[in-house]
Amino acid sequence: MNKVTTSTLIIFFLIASWVFYLTNIKKDDSLTVRYYSLSELANESNDIKKIKVGGYIKPNSINISEEDQLEVSFFVYQNNDSIKVTYYGIRPDLFKDDAEVVVAGSYANSLISATELQTKCASRYEGDLKNIEKI
Amino acid sequence: MVSQIGSIAISLAGGLIFSSFIFLGLFKKSNNQTYLQVAERAILSTSYCIFLAFFCLLNELLISNFNLQYVAQYTSYETPVFFKITALWAGQAGSLLFWSFITALFSVTYIFTTLKKLRALKFHSYIILSFIFSFFIFLSNFIANPFEPISSDIIVQNGNGLNPLLQNFFMAIHPPILYVGFTGSAIIFIMALSASISKDISFEWVQSIRRWSLFVWTFLSAGIILGGYWAYNELGWGGYWAWDPVENSSLMPWLTLTAFIHSSMIQEKRGMLKKWNFLLATSTYILVILGTFITRSGVISSVHSFTAENLGPMFFTFLAILILYTFFWFFKRKSYLDTPDKIDSFTSREGGFLYNNLILILMCFTIMWGTLFPILSEAWDGNKIYVGASYFNQLNIPIGLVLLFLMGIGPLLSWNYTSQSVLLNRFKLPFSVSFVSGIGYIIFSSSFQLYVFVAIMGVSFTLSSILGEFYKSYKKQKRASNFFDALIRMFLSNRHQNGGYIVHIGIVLLFIGFIGRAFEVEKEFSLSPGEQIYFSNYVFKLNSIKSEARDNHYAFLSEIDVVDSSTNQLIVNLKPEKRIYFYWNSDPEKRQPHSELDIYSTIQKDIYSIFSGYDSQKNIGYFKIMINPLVNWVWIGGVLMVIGSLFAFWPSRRNS
Repeated sequence: MNKVTTSTLIIFFLIASWVFYLTNIKKDDSLTVRYYSLSELANESNDIKKIKVGGYIKPNSINISEEDQLEVSFFVYQNNDSIKVTYYGIRPDLFKDDAEVVVAGSYANSLISATELQTKCASRYEGDLKNIEKI
Repeated sequence: MVSQIGSIAISLAGGLIFSSFIFLGLFKKSNNQTYLQVAERAILSTSYCIFLAFFCLLNELLISNFNLQYVAQYTSYETPVFFKITALWAGQAGSLLFWSFITALFSVTYIFTTLKKLRALKFHSYIILSFIFSFFIFLSNFIANPFEPISSDIIVQNGNGLNPLLQNFFMAIHPPILYVGFTGSAIIFIMALSASISKDISFEWVQSIRRWSLFVWTFLSAGIILGGYWAYNELGWGGYWAWDPVENSSLMPWLTLTAFIHSSMIQEKRGMLKKWNFLLATSTYILVILGTFITRSGVISSVHSFTAENLGPMFFTFLAILILYTFFWFFKRKSYLDTPDKIDSFTSREGGFLYNNLILILMCFTIMWGTLFPILSEAWDGNKIYVGASYFNQLNIPIGLVLLFLMGIGPLLSWNYTSQSVLLNRFKLPFSVSFVSGIGYIIFSSSFQLYVFVAIMGVSFTLSSILGEFYKSYKKQKRASNFFDALIRMFLSNRHQNGGYIVHIGIVLLFIGFIGRAFEVEKEFSLSPGEQIYFSNYVFKLNSIKSEARDNHYAFLSEIDVVDSSTNQLIVNLKPEKRIYFYWNSDPEKRQPHSELDIYSTIQKDIYSIFSGYDSQKNIGYFKIMINPLVNWVWIGGVLMVIGSLFAFWPSRRNS
């Protein structure tokens, strides 16, 4: 084999392993996170290192710590299931009762320790026309 | 009246582009040149109709004709003139017409310049051009017509106005610049296909398609960088790149086009790699359409998405046709595109370009995989998988670092073959510079990070390699003339190559900016006026929070003193704001809160402050502070990239 063929083979081998690696990213939780539905998670007895879940904030469940304004706990609910969430950090603008949220973090002992907290945008700007007059 | 003219112009364009197909068919049948000429005129007339429609819409926006749905939705009497103009591409219907407008501009240019020289490509170019054109004109006519009148039973007193959050200079200009790049890649697609179909790949063709590619590349790069600049200065999450699906879909064609610009050089010099180049040139446009499909179909949610009308199936069909057409001709012309010449050695300039191509394509594929993975996974087994920034960062950093070194190795390689002794000799300088800076990093930095270490070595290696090349050609010129003369001659002597080197220096500077990301720190905290907090060698003292009702929003104004804790010197007074747009709206859901940043920016680091929220009952402000080192190098690098590619693009005297 000459040099060119050898190099070509090595390159192909490297690319093939890379592609193989890419098809397996689902198993690597440093790269990807699975979305769970709230009911799926509420019935889960095992701890899960990384999760992402969506739901609504249960009214009157938001509890902001007196000592540290950035510490908060609340319940997310969907249909009949609800789970407690703790979060430390600045809360998004639209964070309030019944807001739709997506949280990401870890799940242990029926509790979500969130590292990410996002609210879904309630309204888009491209809405109906205003300032109109019917004739 | 004007809007009727615009509406008619769009319909006429539809009829004209349809007739061009008929004439092309007649030409195919009779081989009578007249039909080809008529088809050409039909395409030109289509373009003129689009110009007319475009200016009609512009006119309606400027005079605020709220009888048009589009005008009423995106402008109001109060909208400043500049943003009335940019409203042309603020919404779905307008941006599609704008897309056709640029396609029209390029078609006219392509017909009058490129096709005057490459006559053999006319027939197939016109077929593909007409097909692409008719797709967008179809959309403007039937799916999203910007001249759609408002229903007759209402009178609009004033339009909605452009979202104040979008009333930002960089927000307004980065989409059209990207669109120029996106649409321009259609010409590259057309050229690659038509030349292969008509079996007419000439040296002139290679030169011409390279010029188009450089032009398109300049706009794509500028658009991407400006988008990042806007995100960093306006969106308030402290970064310029989030691996959002829409960002990815502008980066993917950029990567394939970058690969094409390099590998087509091998075709220009040695006539090789025709098949590979064909695939790169065509996939660039296909990726553009894939990106547009992602953006406008709503299959992947993203901050950028338009969702008002469902264009997904349309773009999907268009995409599928483009892909099938491309592959059909690729396999049909496979033997024509075959080249007997083989690469002799991997330690040659060709070899270097080939490595560069593989790396760029690998990167493009990795990004595409991550972007589409959520859809693929859900279709595969129903599991919804989220692919976050960590995927893209972890996988692209090593690939990017290899690319960084390759940029330095490339210029040291000669065409055909570089002997070992020559190679070692040329490697001496960059290798020692790189080695010294690597050692320097180990000695002077407090903690060791592998990627930072490799990146620093890569930056110094590549920078010294390119500057070494510049110095060599300067020395050649120096023999004949004085310092400045030699410097100017050096730059003008080989514009393509020097332009390329300038772009590469720009990319190295980008990498310096990326290194800074490894040292970013941030803190979130709450403060009442008068309180202070220590973070990362600075003391942040909140002086006051005031409130103020302004023209179109209500603002809470904070004032923070930033003091260097070691010297006790006041560095800057930051004034981030919390704004509420539409605060008068009785429905709290319709009010739009927005954090207006304040950034203290220097060449070493940025102090980035965000006023995230205000609790008026407790008089507490929530803040986030980020220390982002070296961010400015990203913008400097971006500017240099654009300058470099313009330099390479500018016609030299020899050519004209």
